[in-house]
Amino acid sequence: MTSELDSSGASRGDRARTHAYLNDFLPGIVGYLAVLTLVVLFGNLDGTSPLRFLWAVLPVIPTLWCLRAVARHIGRIDDFQQRLLLQGLAVGFGVAMITAVTVGFLGIAGLDMRLAGWIIFAAGMLAWILGAAVSAKR
Amino acid sequence: MKNSLRALREGHGWTQGALADQLDVSRQTVNALETGRYDPSLPLAFRISGLFGRPIEAIFDPEG
Repeated sequence: MTSELDSSGASRGDRARTHAYLNDFLPGIVGYLAVLTLVVLFGNLDGTSPLRFLWAVLPVIPTLWCLRAVARHIGRIDDFQQRLLLQGLAVGFGVAMITAVTVGFLGIAGLDMRLAGWIIFAAGMLAWILGAAVSAKR
Repeated sequence: MKNSLRALREGHGWTQGALADQLDVSRQTVNALETGRYDPSLPLAFRISGLFGRPIEAIFDPEG
């Protein structure tokens, strides 16, 4: 049974936490895109200079800011939300590990696995999102 | 665990969001508490008890 006191909208606190999370997260994404643009324009990753390896890993540095944002977000949310987040992360981690093992064996069998990292990342991230959505719905 | 949180909240004329703000939890958490999908931690149970001025066992029924 519902009443006019039942609202599915976010509370003031929810909005404040979401706002703080986005404020924390956004610099990491903006930094990642900015560095990625620089790498694409000037990195010369197809070249032969040893510096290309340094260029190749540069976009990772700003994403560390995203890790910090997630850690701070976990500190702000309550026990129930932490549990939902953990369930989603557990699904994402499990799928990423299984994908890594699968990709590893396919590589041993001779399949070209140059995109292995991206496949594992995509599988883990997608599973995290789906796992979190399913946890929230239960 | 069954509880009378929803009745208490509605008795005060509060939305789930308003109660969530007073307990410093999300609205989703209040909803999960009211529907029995989530049993609160001890600190949260004490906050609920303090807010409504009732003992924990008068709000939460461990047999439920």
